[in-house]
Amino acid sequence: MCVLCVVCVLYFAQSADLTGVRGEESVAVPTPISSQDLWTLLLRRHPRLSALQRRVVLAVRQQYVAIGDHLLTLEDGDEVAVVPPLSGG
Amino acid sequence: MAEEECSLKVLLEEKDREIAALKCKLAQLEKSHAPALELHGKVTPLTPLRAKPALSNEDIMRYSRQLLLPELGVKGQLNLSKTSVLVVGCGGLGCPLAQYLAAAGIGRLGLLDYDEVELSNLHRQVLHGEENQGHAKALSAASAVRRLNSTVECIPYHLQLSPENALQLIQQYDIVADCSDNVPTRYLVNDACVLSGKPLVSASALRMEGQLTVYNYRGGPCYRCLYPLPPPPETVTNCSDGGVLGVVPGIMGCLQALEVLKIASGQGSSCGQQLVMFDGLGAKFRSIRLRPKQADCAVCGENPSVTRLVDYETFCGSAATDKCRKLNLLSRDQRITVKDYKSILDNSDPHLLLDVRPLVEVDICHLPFSLNIPLSNLEERKSEQIQLLQEKISQLKQQTAGDCRPPVFVICKLGNDSQKAVQVLEKMSGSEVDSITVKDISGGLMAWAQTVDPTFPQY
Repeated sequence: MCVLCVVCVLYFAQSADLTGVRGEESVAVPTPISSQDLWTLLLRRHPRLSALQRRVVLAVRQQYVAIGDHLLTLEDGDEVAVVPPLSGG
Repeated sequence: MAEEECSLKVLLEEKDREIAALKCKLAQLEKSHAPALELHGKVTPLTPLRAKPALSNEDIMRYSRQLLLPELGVKGQLNLSKTSVLVVGCGGLGCPLAQYLAAAGIGRLGLLDYDEVELSNLHRQVLHGEENQGHAKALSAASAVRRLNSTVECIPYHLQLSPENALQLIQQYDIVADCSDNVPTRYLVNDACVLSGKPLVSASALRMEGQLTVYNYRGGPCYRCLYPLPPPPETVTNCSDGGVLGVVPGIMGCLQALEVLKIASGQGSSCGQQLVMFDGLGAKFRSIRLRPKQADCAVCGENPSVTRLVDYETFCGSAATDKCRKLNLLSRDQRITVKDYKSILDNSDPHLLLDVRPLVEVDICHLPFSLNIPLSNLEERKSEQIQLLQEKISQLKQQTAGDCRPPVFVICKLGNDSQKAVQVLEKMSGSEVDSITVKDISGGLMAWAQTVDPTFPQY
């Protein structure tokens, strides 16, 4: 059965510029959810993130998840992070 | 008899002291005669770095505070002295990195940078001084490092890392540190490290954020495993556009030095499958656990498609520099030069000057009669700002006795954003605002400062 949970999403580097926010405290997400569907859900909230498609690290509970069929079981309060690479130095 | 013996002993002690003083003087003289640092314009073969059989008394004193660490000890220190590290980029990351590696007694440091020291570098590139402006960064960094520890062998390279020279260079070093400032160089360094089997300690920083990972290390991923495709060039922000607080690359360069020292001493890095992120605003570190290397990776995978170095500027669609690109979005009649604009001012021709830079840049400097509406606000059609623009156009129309397309000139820092703004304004003209004639001021305020008004600040 599919239930909703509330996660926190953090946007780093360029993704903070594209979304205009550094983080969102409570984002309702169905669980279980594939990592692809989670990414699509974020894209629907912030269409400009599509510029980073296949060029970004997505992390759930501070662990890398490949964007694909991989099924994620989320819990309330889980941290989702969108991390594009930084290139400056 | 006893008296004679006694006086001989005193004499002998005196001579011993004299000999010791002479030895010391000679050593100092020899040190000051160490060969002048030779700037390398191309990659040349290096002699193998020889391992020290033991620490000298001077080594023991110099490194005593780290020798006391069980994690390092004498063995670790000797390991450092036989390790060579290539530092790619002597900027905000490379300076603190090279400084700590030299201080800790690394054996050999290759310091690579194609650029020269500029005044705007000094807030973060802390090995360079005011007197080094205009000098090669590699040489400036090497002389600073030598002052700190003359026993470290320093090789300054004043050259751009390229697909032609990268492998030959990287093969000669044990560890590579990516301290570069652009995307093509990051892919180039990654591929060269994978192809030559070297661990890559990679850090980056922008604004108030930093990232660090050790790539191609003990089964961990390479840069391409994480980022198979380069970011679209228009989404990449560099330090000269986005800014950076100097201490942020300082922190990341120090972390990089820590990981290099752990690998070099034999202890091993803990960042091989970890992305460490530093958030300077919240003063927080976060670590993301990464996957191992990917079987389908284009360079470190099982069937790699990249088996030799390629053209990384083409792959990334951008130049291997952090200097701003010059866009050419408009036709010649849509642009005027800063000199043309000066004569419009001198003739007091009625017009509107629109400055499309972000507010933070307008605060640094602006032309006093300009109207500021940032490009992003125009693109998003912020209603308040569009209304303001319309008001100014109406006023202008009154001054120009009802000119049906009054002139609007658009300016920014370098003349890239202003071209984008001209395109946006042309779409709005006649529909969202009254009809206008829009032109870009080519080269922006920096061209204004260089050719019209030398008292106008440059940044």
